[in-house]
Formats: sequence, C-alpha cells, structure tokens
Amino acid sequence: MATVRDFLKVKGHQVWSVSPSTPLKEALGIMAQHKIGALVVLQDGNVVGIFSERDYARAAVEMSALNMDTPVRELMTSPVYYVTPLQSADEVMALMSAKHFRHLPVIDDNRLVGVISIGDVVKFVIHEKEDEIKNLEDYIWVHFA
Amino acid sequence: MPTVREILENKGDEVWSVSPENSVQTALEIMAIHNCGTVLVLEGSKVAGIFSERDFVRCSVEIPGFSKSSKVLTAMTTPVFYVTPDQSIDQVMLLMTEKHIRHLPVVENEQLVGMISIGDVVREVISEKDTTIRGLENFIIGREVSL
Repeated sequence: MATVRDFLKVKGHQVWSVSPSTPLKEALGIMAQHKIGALVVLQDGNVVGIFSERDYARAAVEMSALNMDTPVRELMTSPVYYVTPLQSADEVMALMSAKHFRHLPVIDDNRLVGVISIGDVVKFVIHEKEDEIKNLEDYIWVHFA
Repeated sequence: MPTVREILENKGDEVWSVSPENSVQTALEIMAIHNCGTVLVLEGSKVAGIFSERDFVRCSVEIPGFSKSSKVLTAMTTPVFYVTPDQSIDQVMLLMTEKHIRHLPVVENEQLVGMISIGDVVREVISEKDTTIRGLENFIIGREVSL
C-alpha cells in the first residue's frame, strides 16, 4: 500500500505558503498565477491555517464588499487537518472524501514537508490499481495459460 | 466500460444554475447553500458558460473594478467543454485531467441532462478496477483449488 511519502517523492515537496498577515489581494494573486486552489498559512514555520479558493468564495458571500486588504488570517480555515508521511493512500482518500477536502498539509515531526491534493491521490491510487491488475493478469498468464 | 449515463443514473440529474444576467453574489450564494464549487450558466435551456470558485479568484485578481454585483456573464468561463451520456468514463477522466477541469455538463440532443464531477468519475473508476481485481483473484483462487 502506497504511503504519503511515496506521493511526495513523485510530486515533490514544493509548498506555496503565505503568512497570516498577507493581504487577500496578494494571496489570490499567488493562487491565480500558479493555478493552485489553496495556500498553507505559516507562522514561524508552524502551520496555522489553510486558505483555499473555497474559503474565499464562502467568506465573500458575507462581506459587504470585497476588501482586498483583509489579512488572510481572517478568512483561513483553522485548525487544519493534516497527514503524516507514513499514512496510507487509502486513509488520505477517506479523510478527503469524508471532510470534502481537496488539500492536506503533510507534517513530519512538527515540520511541514509537503501538500497533497485530491488529484495527486487519485492519480496514484488508480495507477496502483492498474499495476495490481497487470500483476494478476501476468500471474494468470504464467500459471494457467 | 461504464458510461456517463450510468453515473447519472446513480447520482441523479440535479444541476445548480444561474442566468448570465445574475450577479456574482447570487452565484456565490447558491454555491454556499448547496456546498458546491461550480454553477452552470444557462440561457434558457442552453449552456452559456460555467462559473466556479476558481473563476471567482481569477476575476477578483485580473478584472479591474470587479465586484460581487458584476454580472456572471463577465466572470464565467466560456465556451464550456461538455460530454454526452454515451461517452466512456475513461474518456471523461482524460478530458478532466488534461484540461484541469472538475465539472462537466452532460448534453444530449442539445439538451442539458446533468452534470458530472471529478469525484463522481473517480468513484466509478475505482469501483470498476476493484471489481476487475476481485474477478481476477477469484479466477486464480478457483484454478488453484481445482489444481
């Protein structure tokens, strides 16, 4: 069974982050520029929140006008669910679908080591199942053909 | 190979939509109430565009003077990729991953008949592959027992 560590080996450890005081305008700019759906909010190296396009869309409903100077801290989701590098792909997928998350920070020893998205997990799980099918077919071919 | 039609049979044909003249605020309210990330933009029964949380982020950054009272027309993505009920799940998944899109309207005879999301497709693909794996395992077990 693949673990979170295996995903990160494939996709890399790049994480887009902002600080809690980053203005909304700047955070949205990073998301639009890099075509990403969420940013990790870091303070002194600790994960204090996550800010997603959904957080913005939901918060905007209640804002009387879009104030682009609002600090991210006021709109982010906190506390944050996270996973560790040794958790299995199945556990991550279960957490994501139960909570309707598309992104989870990966934390090892209190240190942020990556972010995985629902897209990463799905690609990996499907690939893994295809390998399993191929192995079973090979086994049948060798033993019974 | 399962088709789009089978997914729609399981999930129903409910689609949340707005008109191009509605405000962005109205679209965001519908998305919040139904906890979804996308609304379809319909002009009569014709698909005019699609408006997502991502479009909202993009417009807020890129369009000077953009506000929640802006019309959906100015913020939606158009033209819209769509699929037909007879397309296979694999084709749909390919389209979604290549174009980085999470939702596709399903259109038959120029009529909108439903909407499928990446989540729907993934659930179907995984369940199909699990069925294949179980079938192969049962075959092996059966043969080994009879040997």
